[in-house]
Amino acid sequence: MRGLPAWLWILLVIAGVGLVPVVMTDAFFLRLFTEALMWIGLAITWDLMAGYVGYLNFGHGVSFGVGAYATALLIVNAGWPFEPAAALGGVAAGLVALISGWPTLRLRGAYFAIGTWALNRAVMQLALVLDITGGADGMRLPAFLRPQFFSWVMLGVVGATFLVLWLLLEQAPFGLKLKAIREDESGSLAIGLNPAKLKLQAYVLSAVPAGIIGGVYAYWITFIDPASTLGDLVTDQAVVMAIFGGLGTLIGPVIGALLLFAFKTYFWAYLSDYQVLYLIILGLAIAATVFFLPDGFWGTVTRRREGRRALQKGMALAHFPEK
Amino acid sequence: MSDHVLKLESVSVAFGGLMAVDAVSFQVAAGEIVGLIGPNGAGKTTVFNAVSGYYKPTRGRITFLGQDVTGHVPYELAAKGIGRTFQVVKPFAGLSVLENILVASYLRYPGQAAARNKAWEVLKFTGLAERANIPAAGLTLASRKRLEVGKALALEPKLLLLDEVVAGLNPTEADQTVELILKVRESGVTILIVEHIMRVIMKISSRIIVLNYGQLIAQGQPEEVAQDRRVIEAYLGEGSSAANGSTP
Repeated sequence: MRGLPAWLWILLVIAGVGLVPVVMTDAFFLRLFTEALMWIGLAITWDLMAGYVGYLNFGHGVSFGVGAYATALLIVNAGWPFEPAAALGGVAAGLVALISGWPTLRLRGAYFAIGTWALNRAVMQLALVLDITGGADGMRLPAFLRPQFFSWVMLGVVGATFLVLWLLLEQAPFGLKLKAIREDESGSLAIGLNPAKLKLQAYVLSAVPAGIIGGVYAYWITFIDPASTLGDLVTDQAVVMAIFGGLGTLIGPVIGALLLFAFKTYFWAYLSDYQVLYLIILGLAIAATVFFLPDGFWGTVTRRREGRRALQKGMALAHFPEK
Repeated sequence: MSDHVLKLESVSVAFGGLMAVDAVSFQVAAGEIVGLIGPNGAGKTTVFNAVSGYYKPTRGRITFLGQDVTGHVPYELAAKGIGRTFQVVKPFAGLSVLENILVASYLRYPGQAAARNKAWEVLKFTGLAERANIPAAGLTLASRKRLEVGKALALEPKLLLLDEVVAGLNPTEADQTVELILKVRESGVTILIVEHIMRVIMKISSRIIVLNYGQLIAQGQPEEVAQDRRVIEAYLGEGSSAANGSTP
């Protein structure tokens, strides 16, 4: 068994997880199962920019929301089937990243975080005022009530995302090149790297799967509105999951997503009278993690210090130009 | 192809009204080690930044291997064959020593296995192989400066710009670095070096260029330059020309 290549292990784990919905067919469980996978997908794609490149994207929800709305519009207005619609949702999110990355990726440190957050707000306002998106009333999609189907679709999308990111970030030179940018962007120029190009590639690469996930979410939940797809909470939860799990690794955000999602589920199940507390706890959790576990759970366990490096770069208030 | 590797023709770099480099012209021939010296603020690092593409010259022309490369960006110049180190070292601190060199090796060896071979070759060449797996942040200053050289060598440069790779080292470390520089030259790389330590620059340079206030004030053999009245005055102030120039 030890002789198996790592990619085969990953496929086996994904296939193993795929057996769960066969056994556990309870609708409530399948809903949790699908949502947990969704958060894993959002956390690992957020970590691509944050942990590997050192850019804290507080507008990751834009990709999710654009994917959700594009998919909904194609299904509702153009009568497209779900699969190509969701795929095009990913393309739409990628295009938005390609266009918005050009100005925002020139910002560094905390300014990038603020810039992307503002972009998220702008897109949310757009969804609120446009007629085609239904404004604050949102959009209703034709119901396709097959929880098992959605659990497998989500697993397929998130599993494929994990595998692609693992190949590109942990196996191919691409990941190390991104880390070099995280460590010293100006120094990376001297070894032949083009940070502007690499950052844009990473930005689009993190947006496309998030857009597809948004599309799957829209068809699965059958109702989307600006708050649920473009609200701050979409990004913020992915952020907390990735940082808590450990930036700059792929396993870290998966663990972070599972732990935080478990907490969220228990919280809503037993403490739903105190909803406002959830946001306060989320805020405290992120502050405590940054202070006490800057490398995140997985980084601390494996003694990797990439988490704090990513945070240092991502939260810097100034960058120091070459002398 | 012309015999010079690098040629600057009245290159100027201005920051606002300040002429950091003022109409400097010189050539570096293949196989040479050329020393670039001058008092603090003379414009040495600015020349490096202009040659490596970090600054765009305000005026003038830079030719590399017969090709006009004025205003080209650093990664293009790295691909063309200009490697550089930084005075304030820029290790990728969170990455291991091996990863630091590996990421530079991708420029010539896009495949993972070939890049690893190249990285190990550079690690051995620079004497960093034993520390391959520790984070670059954990290296001593001497090793970090070696790592700078190693990263540049992994690019397989034709011209190597070394910015104060000896300064700050103790005499033993300095001698080892000098040996490394000579070894690099023997492997066929042309070198332009900025250094404050005269003992080093006099020993290894085949030719020396002296800058002061952004202008080229002298160039020639080390012995000639050391005797040059203007050079001695630049270092020690006017009226000091009686001093022996070998240790300004």
